[in-house]
Amino acid sequence: MPPLTAERASSQHHATEPGAEVLRLTNVTKSFPGVRALDEVCFDLRRGEVHAVCGENGAGKSTLMKIISGQYQPDGGAIRYKGADTRFANSLEAERAGIAIIHQELNLIPHLSVAENIYLAREPKRGWFVDRAALRRNAQACLDRLGVDIRPDASVKSLSVAQCQMVEIAKALSLNAEILIMDEPTSSLTESETALLFQVIHELKREGVGIVYISHRLDEMAAIVDRVTVLRDGRYVSTHDFAATTVDEIVARMVGRSLEEKFPERTSTPTADVLLSASGLTRKGVFHDVGFELRRGEILGFAGLMGAGRTEVARAIFGADPLDGGTIRLGERTITVRSPRDAIDHGIAYLSEDRKSHGLAVKMSVVQNLTLASMDSVSNRFGFIDFAAEAKAAKTYIDLLSIRTPSPHQIAKLLSGGNQQKIVIGKWLFRQSRILFFDEPTRGIDVGAKFAIYQLLDRLAAQGIGVVLISSELPEILGLTDRVAVFHEGRITAVLNTRDTSQEDIMHYASGHSRPHASGAATP
Amino acid sequence: MSDLSTTTKSVPQSAREPGEPKARMMNDKKKDLIQKFAALASLLLLVAVFAMTSDAFLTVNNGMTIALQVTSIAYLGIGATCVIITGGIDLSVGSVLALAGVVAALAVKAGVPVPLGMGLGVLVGAFCGLLNGLCVTRLKLPPFIATLGMMLVARGIALQITGARAVSGLGESFGELGNGALFRIVTIGDDGFPNVVFPGIPYPVILMVVAAIGVAVMLSRTTLGRHIYAVGSNAEAARLSGVNVARVTLITYILSGSLAGLTGCVLMSRLVTAQPNEGVMYELDAIASAVIGGTSLIGGVGTISGTAIGAFVIGILRNGLNMNGVSAFTQQIIIGLVILLTVWIDQMRNRR
Ligand SMILES: Nc1ncnc2c1ncn2[C@@H]1O[C@H](COP(=O)(O)OP(=O)(O)OP(=O)(O)O)[C@@H](O)[C@H]1O
Ligand SMILES: [Mg+2]
Repeated sequence: MPPLTAERASSQHHATEPGAEVLRLTNVTKSFPGVRALDEVCFDLRRGEVHAVCGENGAGKSTLMKIISGQYQPDGGAIRYKGADTRFANSLEAERAGIAIIHQELNLIPHLSVAENIYLAREPKRGWFVDRAALRRNAQACLDRLGVDIRPDASVKSLSVAQCQMVEIAKALSLNAEILIMDEPTSSLTESETALLFQVIHELKREGVGIVYISHRLDEMAAIVDRVTVLRDGRYVSTHDFAATTVDEIVARMVGRSLEEKFPERTSTPTADVLLSASGLTRKGVFHDVGFELRRGEILGFAGLMGAGRTEVARAIFGADPLDGGTIRLGERTITVRSPRDAIDHGIAYLSEDRKSHGLAVKMSVVQNLTLASMDSVSNRFGFIDFAAEAKAAKTYIDLLSIRTPSPHQIAKLLSGGNQQKIVIGKWLFRQSRILFFDEPTRGIDVGAKFAIYQLLDRLAAQGIGVVLISSELPEILGLTDRVAVFHEGRITAVLNTRDTSQEDIMHYASGHSRPHASGAATP
Repeated sequence: MSDLSTTTKSVPQSAREPGEPKARMMNDKKKDLIQKFAALASLLLLVAVFAMTSDAFLTVNNGMTIALQVTSIAYLGIGATCVIITGGIDLSVGSVLALAGVVAALAVKAGVPVPLGMGLGVLVGAFCGLLNGLCVTRLKLPPFIATLGMMLVARGIALQITGARAVSGLGESFGELGNGALFRIVTIGDDGFPNVVFPGIPYPVILMVVAAIGVAVMLSRTTLGRHIYAVGSNAEAARLSGVNVARVTLITYILSGSLAGLTGCVLMSRLVTAQPNEGVMYELDAIASAVIGGTSLIGGVGTISGTAIGAFVIGILRNGLNMNGVSAFTQQIIIGLVILLTVWIDQMRNRR
């Protein structure tokens, strides 16, 4: 715990100056059935600073944030907000007091519009009625501030995960809070939206807003973070000035040992035989004439900006959305895929980027989620479940992915975000498909576990499985794939050999150019 | 891919005091057990109270009466539970049972053998369920609307084909299913009158036990059951995991319809007349029994054992209140309050 007595004394005089302490938590403790999520954790926040909270999946970061924002009540400890001891009975109270939070999981209401979501329960009124013009105008202003191109009256249902995330951010900004908590705001954003967000964060800092920032993308933190607090296993480890420490040191404090490499060495090279080939894939208004080949043992990246159509192509091949045209071949054989069931029967798996609404059966247990796509392999031919086989499979994947759960029978929604993501990964690994479409598979997963998942993907490729990796993190694409297909507005603008390409090349093609740029190395 | 995790294994859990979390977990399990049996406990409490207030309550004969009265709520409740777990609702069962019973009776009257006629009744129920399911899965109608439509249509047809009159004169064999019993021991007394030594186990009760066990096993031990929960928990995630959501949903409506058909046959058989006005508002008893038993109307949660307890709570309340001379109106008030209370308790438990 950093000694802050001097500042505290002065903060009583200049309580609204940037740098003055606005929040202090002391020895906060919180337990859930079977889990001590927080054990005597201390944390403080000053006006105008970005204070990052780091820790492995399940370390207690989100729980701490939910306590600050009034969603959970601590079992013990004290919260001092603006110089007074405080206990918020619920999140509304905290919001009224000036604390806004962007939750790790998206919480928008799908059938309402973007504007209605942003001003939910605080709609501008004219008399008894909602002032629709003002609603639109205010929402537009929020979105403009973020610089995103989303229409205020678009239905949230029609937005991608990244766009929903931007709406969540806009919503939090519209509260004009004194403390803004961001729980993994960038986990689904590409670099350009992240840059937009960071610009706004800089503005907020100048205005004196205290920002708590949680992310597993440690490299991006240097641009905004002032101080960093590390939690491990629900316990407070340390707080440092960001400038006085390094990412490696932070990681070492998080996991209790140092991690040298971020990406494993690829142990195999793709073979020449084509596992899956797509040509002329078209879905009107979404993507056009998309074609690519996936080889046995290959990891193929899909890169592109938000809304470039990567997810949509994968979903269409998987039978989740209809195709308007094009052919899909498995080896030599042309196949028709009418539903996800068909695709799964053909040995194709698709891990969705949206775990909450498309990935997890949230009310079911960890085991039941892990085996959901593979019930046939844990049941007999009359459909009776072999519970022993199921438990064994679950144990294998809980151990393999180090899923942190008090029991295999814990309800999935009670796990931390990153551990929920691991369940979804485990579900598709257990299915043992030949072709994997992994859409943002490491979303919300901590650095150590990410490395394990990269190793797993490499191992799978070495076994002859074809992997399509859709990722908004370019380093991940560059570090792991053999080739990259770059998408722009529903078309593939280039397929590059990863070894001969660079982040700049990919960005060049992602922004719509179809020829190599002058300075970059030409790629075959 | 076997032991990759060892290379990245995070800080071992042993960082915590070893004994403490375990003790906490045990405590929670106990708590969970107690809460699970809260409904059962209140059931026992009801029995105890009524046993004290009325001498005739705790007798073998009254037990049989209650079991018989509970059967129809239970059949419908079992079907309702499956539908509700998928996130749906079936409002049509009260009307469907009337239609099924009336069709069975008319068939028998027209010379069809009784077992075949009753089979036809169950089929009519299944067919109504199929139509409900198709409206929900193909036409994408909200379940509430689809089954509300069926509720009116089925009742209308039942009234139409009977001319709104009861179908009677069905013969003794038609009453066998509803009034017969297994292992009934009757001796002829000295006075020449039959003397019932043991009333036996009524056929409807046997059917109820068979249906409950069958569906409970289906829900908890088969892939179909697992898929039913998955659809209710997150239909899109289930679909993307390869579950045939439409088929699973359809099956639950067909099951609900079939059980409504069975209920119709049993009820009409008990009276040995087919009433097109039978079963009005029974769907609400069915839904109430499921909800009292812990089934969540949002879907994804529910058990047959819970519903069975729920059915008995309603049945025993009715019977016990009757025996204590409480008026039908007061009964309604009490049952309504019980539903509100149990669901409230259930929600409190889930919120924590
Ligand atoms: N409502 C809850 N009920 C039971 N356990 C919970 C609940 N919320 C969190 N937990 C448990 O508390 C621990 C901390 O969870 P938390 O969500 O705070 O982790 P996190 O640090 O945010 O992780 P991640 O990086 O994966 O988001 C986890 O072990 C989780 O399973
Ligand atoms: Mg979290």
